[in-house]
Parts: sequence; structure tokens; C-alpha cells
Amino acid sequence: MIEFKDVNKTYPNGVTALSNVNLTIDQGEFVAIIGLSGAGKSTLIRCINRMHEINEGTLTVNNVNVGKLKGKQVRDFRRKIGMIFQSFNLVTRTSVINNVLISSVPDLSAWRKFLGIFPKEKKVEALEALDKVGILDKAYNRVDQLSGGQQQRVALARTIAQNPDIILADEPVASLDPVTAKVVMDDFKRINKETNMSILINIHHVELALEYADRVIGIRKGEVVYDGKSEEVTQDVLDEIYGSLDNVPKMDDVEEAEV
Amino acid sequence: MKEPIYDQIFKPKTYTLSNGKEVKQRASRTPLVLLVVLLVTVLSWEATNVDLSALRTRGYQFVIILTDMFPPNLNFLNNIWGPLFDTIQMSLLGSIAGALLAIPFALLSSSNIIKNRILNGFFKLFLSILRTLPTLITALIATFVFGLGTMAGTVAIFLFTLSYIGKLMYEHIENVDMGAFEAHESMGLSKVQAFRYAIVPDVLPTYLSVSLYAFEGNIRYAAILGYVGAGGVGLLLDERLGWRDYPSVGMVLLILMVVVFIIERISEYFRMKLT
Amino acid sequence: MNKAVQLQLDKEPNRKLYLSTIAAILIALIIWSFMGVNITGFDQRGTQIASNIFSGLFSPDLEFLFDFTSGGGVPSLLFETIAIAFLGTVFGSFLAIPISFLMSPSIVSRPVAFVTRLVVIFIRTIPSLVYGLMFIRVTGPGPYAGVLTMSLTSIGMISRLYVDVIENLDRGVLEAMTSMGCTTYQKVRYGILPQLFSSFLSVTIYRYDMNLRDATILGLVGAGGIGAPLIFAMRSYRWSEVGSILIGLVVLILAVEIFSNKLRERLVNG
Ligand SMILES: Nc1ncnc2c1ncn2[C@@H]1O[C@H](COP(=O)(O)OP(=O)(O)OP(=O)(O)O)[C@@H](O)[C@H]1O
Ligand SMILES: [Mg+2]
Repeated sequence: MIEFKDVNKTYPNGVTALSNVNLTIDQGEFVAIIGLSGAGKSTLIRCINRMHEINEGTLTVNNVNVGKLKGKQVRDFRRKIGMIFQSFNLVTRTSVINNVLISSVPDLSAWRKFLGIFPKEKKVEALEALDKVGILDKAYNRVDQLSGGQQQRVALARTIAQNPDIILADEPVASLDPVTAKVVMDDFKRINKETNMSILINIHHVELALEYADRVIGIRKGEVVYDGKSEEVTQDVLDEIYGSLDNVPKMDDVEEAEV
Repeated sequence: MKEPIYDQIFKPKTYTLSNGKEVKQRASRTPLVLLVVLLVTVLSWEATNVDLSALRTRGYQFVIILTDMFPPNLNFLNNIWGPLFDTIQMSLLGSIAGALLAIPFALLSSSNIIKNRILNGFFKLFLSILRTLPTLITALIATFVFGLGTMAGTVAIFLFTLSYIGKLMYEHIENVDMGAFEAHESMGLSKVQAFRYAIVPDVLPTYLSVSLYAFEGNIRYAAILGYVGAGGVGLLLDERLGWRDYPSVGMVLLILMVVVFIIERISEYFRMKLT
Repeated sequence: MNKAVQLQLDKEPNRKLYLSTIAAILIALIIWSFMGVNITGFDQRGTQIASNIFSGLFSPDLEFLFDFTSGGGVPSLLFETIAIAFLGTVFGSFLAIPISFLMSPSIVSRPVAFVTRLVVIFIRTIPSLVYGLMFIRVTGPGPYAGVLTMSLTSIGMISRLYVDVIENLDRGVLEAMTSMGCTTYQKVRYGILPQLFSSFLSVTIYRYDMNLRDATILGLVGAGGIGAPLIFAMRSYRWSEVGSILIGLVVLILAVEIFSNKLRERLVNG
């Protein structure tokens, strides 16, 4: 369970990215977070695994107060939370399986850690994770030989191998074509159903969000302006989240502004 | 916007199109470049006493030396092996030591790894300055410090390799995509572990390839270090050229060519595999 | 464990043998080279000289370093070095133009290109010091021998880089011009030369940078430049003079490197 209580976050440069956020997300939920660019979506999910610090309020994950963790505790805590990025963030000059094996690095003995030699059972786990996302046959290919969709599935396998309670995904399909995006979203959905992992996705495609997520959280200027079932999202709600079209600068204005 | 001085002196051509828009064509820079080159050439010509007639009247001397090298003196081969191995050993040891020490230097210079501007700047400057010193001059200084012999040559090769690989590697490391590093941290790896598994696999192939390339070049450099007394075949070249024993010089050059060729092919093969 | 996973596990490429062989060879080579190089530490004399050089660097002979008037100061020695490298680069790059065309398989037939390549490799393997000593027999000691040496040694690299430029010419432009009915002269003048000029210039500037370093060592064999005074100063233990020369050298080479990088960037970006 993830619980935000009166959370505020201000970056050192003075930008307030989250203000007064109160949220409760239960184990096994599939949540889409939507909002304009710069609304604070990335900030929100990055606070959950302490990639960013919050300034005020409390954030608890599975009854652990995230802000109180220190050093090694933070690292152990992060192992139970998977993270997926828009740009995949894989090590491209090495093989697919080596990327998936990363999650077991902290378990290795010192010399294995140094040499990067993994025991057989870890390799089996990694291959099984690859099997779950359907790219088992690419295990020994180099990552830079794969397409974007395949790379995102490697990243997903890397997260599955971590066996986390929660998966945080920051615009996982933003650099994929519409068909591949659906394939990857299907993977998320299946994992969510089969393993009961909670999934939090930042996403710009409203249709995808409504289609796949059970719950939608709308953010505007760092505040939660909508939180409810995805079926109940109406045009009015979207206007509230994104601002109505009147506020969007018109083409003429843009041209004038530049001159 | 202020126009460059050149455009103020040589006004750009202005064309007015039928619809009233103005298009400016900047005057070509080429004549200026050529003029400067011509001027510096004349100055340099004066300064270096270039005299083409000397080349015409005495140029045959060069050809004579060249033809004297053929056929090479095969009997000299036995004198070559020792210094030749010295040369290879010097460049091997100097290259390996330099490549190893280049790692900490490159890391300390990389602003994305060590987040300390002053430290980064200091090590970058150090590597740049070290790189300006030609190997032969470093070797000359090293012979004064370490005495004549292979040690001085090794030190010279070592210092050059350090600066060369150090610079190329920090440039590479600073351009590494830190995404994977971030991902590994988000998975609960420590910074050291994330470095080992995100940065090292990215940088290692380049590092090995650059090191091989440096070694290739070092063999060529090492061949002349003997001239200042820093060991290797350069010693033979100096001695035989002094005695005008050109067939032996030819033999040394021939062997050198063969060795350089072989080493370059081997190194090229492995560098191909690394990319 | 499911079958597909088992199958894939067995397929893991085994590079242990390959890697351990390479490691063994490498270790053997290292041991071998340790045997050849007799590692000597600093003895007392060495330490003394090292500290002398350092103190020379920090208390250089300022009069010598800033002597712009007479012919023997650091500035004029550096100027001579610059001049040697410059003329050598100019001559070398002119000589490299015909050679590079003879080396381009897209311009001449393959056998001709191959033979020219061999000749260039041959020219390139002879160390510059050897050329220096050979040219001294032609011109006598002095900067002129240095210029001739630089011209010859730059040919190898310049022509190889020129070939790359020629091979990467944008042929689309030529096709377009042919379709517009341009004559061969027009194609060369407006289609090829503009493309070649800036790339060739960039290559030449790059080589100048390297030639400057090489020119400093030619003095060691008496072919002009700042190398000879350096070796004299060291042999006679005039450390503050050594310091002045080294400082001048480092500053010059750094300055030229920065300047030539800037220049080449501008050339590439138009
Ligand atoms: N590291 C940082 N330092 C300072 N300000 C930041 C930092 N990261 C984000 N911000 C600011 O915080 C605000 C929220 O950013 P955030 O990245 O969370 O938005 P987002 O909703 O994820 O946008 P996008 O859809 O473009 O990814 C923005 O105004 C941004 O400029
Ligand atoms: Mg974002």
C-alpha cells in the first residue's frame, strides 16, 4: 500500500512540483497518472522509491516511512519497487540477459560482483522473466540490436526479475508506435493480473490510460485534481486536468510571441 | 546582431527579390583564407631559408642514401633482435602501465562521475599539458632522470599513453548515457555497483580499443627513442646513420616495417571485434 | 523449469576458453616485457635532476623566455618551429593532392590505387628522424632540412584522409548537374571543388597540429626548431633555460591545439 499524506515537494531551484498530495493506493491496483507536461507526474512517482526527496508530509509504502530510510535501507527498500523509463535505460553495449541479471547483483558474493559471473539459478530466473514478456529467443543478443518495443520489454523483464511489489513506469510507451505501445501495455496488464503487483503509469495517451488502468489520477500544477475510476472520467474531468482548449495558446499567438 | 568584422569590410551582396524581400549573400571567405596562407608561407619561407635550387643541385644525395639502403644488409639481422625486442618491450610495458593509470585519471576528470569541478579541471589540465610534450622530449628528460636505457624510454611511452588514453576516455565517459546508471540505482544497487554494471560495460570496449590503438602508435614512437639514448632500435639507427652504413639502416627499417605491419594487423583484428 | 528456458540456457555462448587464452597471453607478454626493461628507480642523481627541472619550470629564465628582439630567444625559436611545421604542412598537403587521387579506387583503377597505397605505407613507416638525418646531407643542418622532412612525413596521413574525403563526395550533386547539362569543367568547379576545399583544409589544419609537435623534435638531429637549444641547455645543466623552453613549448602547442580545433569546428559548421 502506498500512502501520501499532505506531501509537498519543492526542487532546490524553487519550483514547486507537488503540493498537498493525499493519495492511497492499494496493493494490486493499476493506476494511470495523467496531466500536462511539467504537471509533476514524474516527480510524484520518483518520490515513491526515493529517487527524489519530499520536503513536507509523510509518504509510507507498505508501512515503511520512506523519508526515514537511510543508506543501505534505501537500497533494500528500492529492490521491492521496479521502475520503467521512457528511454528504457538499458546498458546497450551488452547482452539482453546481462541487463535482466542486474537485479540479482546485490545478492552476489564480492568476487562474483566484481567479475560479473552469475550463478545458474539467477540465469534461469532471468530467462524466465524474458519468457514472460515473450523475448526469450533474444536472450544473448546485444541490446542495441533490438527494436524500441523489444528494448522496453527487456526493461520490463529486468523489473519482473526483481520480483517487486510495485512497478513505477514513467511514460513507458511514449517512444513506441501505437501498435507496439498496445503490446507493451498488454504486458503490464497481464503482469498486474497474474502477480498482483501494483502498477503506476505516467502516460500522455488518454485513450490508453482509460483503456488499461482501473484508476486514473489527474495532476495539474502539482495538485491532484482528479482521482477516481477510469470509467468515470468525462470530458469535463479532462478539461479540468488539461485546462480547457481556451487556455491553450493559439497558433497566431505563438508566431507573434516569437517575433 | 553585430556583423563580423569581415562582413563589415566586404559588404555582403544584397539581392532584392520581386516581392520586396532582401537576401544577403555574404562575401566568400576563401580569398581571405588564401591570402593569409600565402602571407604566412612567404614569412615561413624567409625564416627557414628554403632554397629550391639546393634541392635541385643536391637532391640526388637523398636518392643516393635511399638506393644505398637496397639491398639491405642481411648480416646485420643478428644485431637487430636485441634492440628490437627492447623496443617492443618498452612500448608494451609503457602502454599497459599508462593505460591502467589512465583509468583513475579519466574518472577524476569526468564531471559526471566525480562531482567536483576543481578536481575535474585540474586533472583535465594536467592531461592536456602532458599531451603537449612530444614523446622524444619526455624521453630526453627521462634519460637525465633515470639514466640511459630502456627505463627512460618506458617512462616516456608511459606518460604519453597516460595522457592520450586519459583524454579520450574522459571525453567518452562524460558522454555516456547515465540512464542505465539511474535505472540500476532505482533497483537498489549502490553507486559503485551501478557504476560497475552500467558505465563499465559501456566504456570497456572503447577503452580496450583505444589502448590497442595507442600501443600500435607507441611501437612507432619507441623506434626512435633510442636516438636520445632511451633504448631500442633508435640506438642502431643513430649509430649506423652516423657511420653512413646505409645497408644496415635499410635492414633496420625493413624489420621495423614488418613488425609494425604485423602488430597493426593483430591490433586491428581485435579492435574490429570490439566494436 | 520450462523447456524453452532450459533450451535457451544451454545455448549460452561459452567464452571462458577464449577469454582465458587471451588473459594468459597478455600475462605472458607483461612478464616478458618486465624482463626486458630494467626497472631503475630514481637514484640520488636522478632525484636531484628531477628537482632541478622542476625548479627550472617554476623559475624560468625570463629574459630568455621573453626575448623578442635578438634571434636566439624562445619566441624566435618558437617562430622557427612554427614556420617549419607550416611550410612542411603546406608542401605536404600540395604533394598529397595528386597522390590521394592516385590512391582513390573510385578515380583510378584498383591496381594503381593499390601500388600508390603501398608506396605511401612505405613512406610512412620511416621515422621522421631518419628523414631528418637524410635531408641534412642534402641541405646541411638547419630549418630547411626540417621543412623537407615535414613535407615528406605529412604526405602519408594527409593523403589517406584526403582519400576518405574524395570517396565520401556527395555524388548526388554531380548527378543533378549532369541532368542540368553542365560541362565537365562546370561540374569540377562548382560541384567538386567547393566540397573538397573545406574538408581538405580541415584535414590540413589537423595535420599542422601534429606537425608542430614533430617539428619540436627535429631540432634534436639538427634540423632546426626549438629541439636543439633544449638539448644543449639540458646537456649543460642550464635548468632555468630548460624551464623557459618547456614553458614556451607547452603554451604554444596548447594554444595552437585550441585554435585549430576552433577553426575546424567553424569549417565544419560553415
Ligand atoms: N531535477 C529538477 N530540478 C528542478 N526542477 C525540476 C526537476 N525535475 C523537474 N523539475 C520541475 O518540476 C516540475 C514538474 O516536473 P515533472 O518532471 O515532474 O513533470 P512531468 O509531469 O513528469 O512532465 P512531463 O510530462 O513533461 O514528463 C516542472 O516544472 C519541472 O520543470
Ligand atoms: Mg515526466
